[in-house]
Amino acid sequence: MSTSSPIQPSFTPTAPSLPPYQPPPPASKIPTSALTTTSSPSPFTYPREHSFPPFYTRQPTLQTHHAQLQKWSSLILAYCRHNRLFKLSLIDSLDSPLFYNQRIRKRLGISDVKEVVEFMRREGRAEWVGKGGENSAECWIWWRTPEEWASGIYEWIDETAQKNTVLTLYELTESEATLSQEFHGMDPDLLQRVMNILVKRGKAQVFGQEDQQGVKFF
Amino acid sequence: MFLKQVDLTTALRPAYLPDEVLLTMWGSMRGKVSEDTSLKAKSDEVIPSKNKIPDYQNGHVYLTSHRICYVDNQDPRKNSTAIDLKEVDRYEFYAGFLKSSAKITLVPKPPKRSSIQNRAISSLYSPSRSATASPLSRTDSPFHLPTPEPTPSSTATWICTICSFSNPVPSNFDPTTASELTTPLAPCLNCGIKPQFGHVLKAAISNAANRPSPASSVPLRAPLPVRGRTDASRPHSDVGNEPSTMQSQKSNQQSQEAKKSTSIQCPRCTFLNHPSLRECEICGARLSPEAASTGLENPLLRAESPGPTLNQLPAPGTEENESIKLSFRGGGEKLFHERLKGCMTQRKWLLQGAPPVPKPNRPAGADTGSSGTTTPSGERVKTAGIAGLEQRRLEVRKNNELAIGNAFEDLETLMASAKEIVALAESFATSNGNGTSETSAVANALGLVTTKEMLGGGSNSESLYISELSRNLAEFLTDDARGVLRKAGGIITLVDLWAKFNRARGGVELVSPLDFEKAARLWEKLKLPVRLREFKSGVLVVQASDRTDEKTIKTLLFWLSDLHSLPPDRELSWDWQLFGRGVTAQDAAENFGWSIGVAEEELEMAEERGALCREESIEGLKYWENWIDDSQSPSQSQSYNVI
Repeated sequence: MSTSSPIQPSFTPTAPSLPPYQPPPPASKIPTSALTTTSSPSPFTYPREHSFPPFYTRQPTLQTHHAQLQKWSSLILAYCRHNRLFKLSLIDSLDSPLFYNQRIRKRLGISDVKEVVEFMRREGRAEWVGKGGENSAECWIWWRTPEEWASGIYEWIDETAQKNTVLTLYELTESEATLSQEFHGMDPDLLQRVMNILVKRGKAQVFGQEDQQGVKFF
Repeated sequence: MFLKQVDLTTALRPAYLPDEVLLTMWGSMRGKVSEDTSLKAKSDEVIPSKNKIPDYQNGHVYLTSHRICYVDNQDPRKNSTAIDLKEVDRYEFYAGFLKSSAKITLVPKPPKRSSIQNRAISSLYSPSRSATASPLSRTDSPFHLPTPEPTPSSTATWICTICSFSNPVPSNFDPTTASELTTPLAPCLNCGIKPQFGHVLKAAISNAANRPSPASSVPLRAPLPVRGRTDASRPHSDVGNEPSTMQSQKSNQQSQEAKKSTSIQCPRCTFLNHPSLRECEICGARLSPEAASTGLENPLLRAESPGPTLNQLPAPGTEENESIKLSFRGGGEKLFHERLKGCMTQRKWLLQGAPPVPKPNRPAGADTGSSGTTTPSGERVKTAGIAGLEQRRLEVRKNNELAIGNAFEDLETLMASAKEIVALAESFATSNGNGTSETSAVANALGLVTTKEMLGGGSNSESLYISELSRNLAEFLTDDARGVLRKAGGIITLVDLWAKFNRARGGVELVSPLDFEKAARLWEKLKLPVRLREFKSGVLVVQASDRTDEKTIKTLLFWLSDLHSLPPDRELSWDWQLFGRGVTAQDAAENFGWSIGVAEEELEMAEERGALCREESIEGLKYWENWIDDSQSPSQSQSYNVI
């Protein structure tokens, strides 16, 4: 799966681009229609701080540091949303344009990246993959939380009148029918998690073997 | 009025008059109420009322060579006052008893006097007085009284080292112009041995120091004596005894220019003694200070019955007899009294305005005094142009050489000509040009610096010393001529200041770092116009108290905003028109004239306040305008907009 190399902007050539970055709204208030946006692809535009040299140095002053973390958090979320990244590999992303600004030759150090991710985790916008905590090499970036994904997928099923039909999980994320949806190309692990949430809510049933899982929405 | 307004310096210390020297001060820093020193005025001596002067109840007192200054603790600008010592007739010391604290009473001189009494005194004194005294008293006294016996006498004497005979110093012997080689010296009149030049010079100078202008007064009043001949009318016994001569001069002087009530009549021999004497000069009998004489006005009163009412009697002819009491509630009266006593004996104020050492080109004495000597000024011809300038330079130089030579002859002579030496030091300093600030500080340090020994021992002398040092420092810092703070960009580290201050003290009476820090910490408490600031790292700096962190940040930000518009000297990879540039501590130090340490601390302070943010790179630590924190960033309106 391509989550291990999430870097190339060309990764989602067909992805609909997002409107200019907005601060992440509270999770519960996301309008579901936001999941189905359509527009032409455009390169990601970085916020101006991205080319501000001190942005890459950990600020010792508490208030400034907090602002710094918040800015980084927003930037990462916007970047991942734009590039449809669900998972971030820390080591690989260090050289990505996200953390390395080639123009001003500045990069964010690994420990600083971890601090940012940890900050995002506390805000519910990221999660370490596995149980290693900060030692994990990868992390989920919740530009949509799993609960939001669950609602989003269910809504789409409802809108396309696919209730009570059986779909394979692969079909759900990779078929051409979902091309315009944000969950297109979703990481299978994440999808599994989203399905579990729907199952718990009693709105879907998952069955089948490891590779051949199907799902039925109610 | 007896009390005079006093000017205060920025550090709330009295501004000194020229030549004034601080002798001691007293006051205290401890306690909350601690009314240490207060002024009490009694409107009338007869009624021993306790009229305290309101607003003068708590402060400290400075004793200088010329004045007693009182500076209030509460409202120093309004309630400070000074008493000229020359107007003090006499002073009394009261040691304090039980709850009543020690006091020193100062009695001012009455404004008028009767001439009859004066004549009575002078005629009374003159037979027993040495002949040398009378011209002196004549010159010193404000009223030139007719002296009963104008004695044509030379002014100075030198004592032969061989036979102890007192020889007169030749009247044309001018200490400023005489030199060992050029001035011939007459041998001793008694034994015929030639004296040493320095010996005579010393005698001449000490004589000149004792009386303002002896050389000029003598030739004017008396026929010029031929050099080398003794003055027949002079009684030898008198002249030989130097201390007693001076003493008698003083008492004579005292009694003539002051009221006679000052002198104390000896109970045994009725000789009128100087009030500061404890024993009669003539017969050695003990004098009681209470008998401060009303003796002359009231000759029937005996000193043998010194009742407490005696000195309460108002002297006839003085309608108003007010006195000032200094009350020492926190101790320190002993030392003060002692110094006051010394001060009243020395009478430095008499020297003020009078030429310390006669100069060859003195306008009055030029025609007479220098006629016989070999000074170039004597036969000075009017020369113009460069030759004239050179001539004058030469003269000045010779004169300077002489003054220095005289001064170092030995310690006594040095003290006599100290005033001139200080003036020289000052003139050297100004001609040195660039070193002005520091060398003039040396001259300054000779007089106006509080030293530990001035305050003497005592329980709270330490804290007093610190507080005085604190004021000293504040003066040093705010002195515009020196510009210590201005040169350092308005802020200086305490260590640098310590070094500067000690250097300005010229290597004497250096201040220990501990005392220095203590003194600096007192600024805030004493409400002085400088303040001590401690940076996060513990570095202590000194700056003017009106200079706050906000102001510093404002100037920093203003400077940084300038960098937005200045094109950089090399290509920068970031948008410098938007973000400006990062600055290092060194840049800031150069721009503001700070030391690097101060610049670092100031930048860090600004960063801590959120005005700046930092960038660490291989180029070092740089500080930027804070574009990270939107509440601080220079353009808050653009926040959250992607560019």
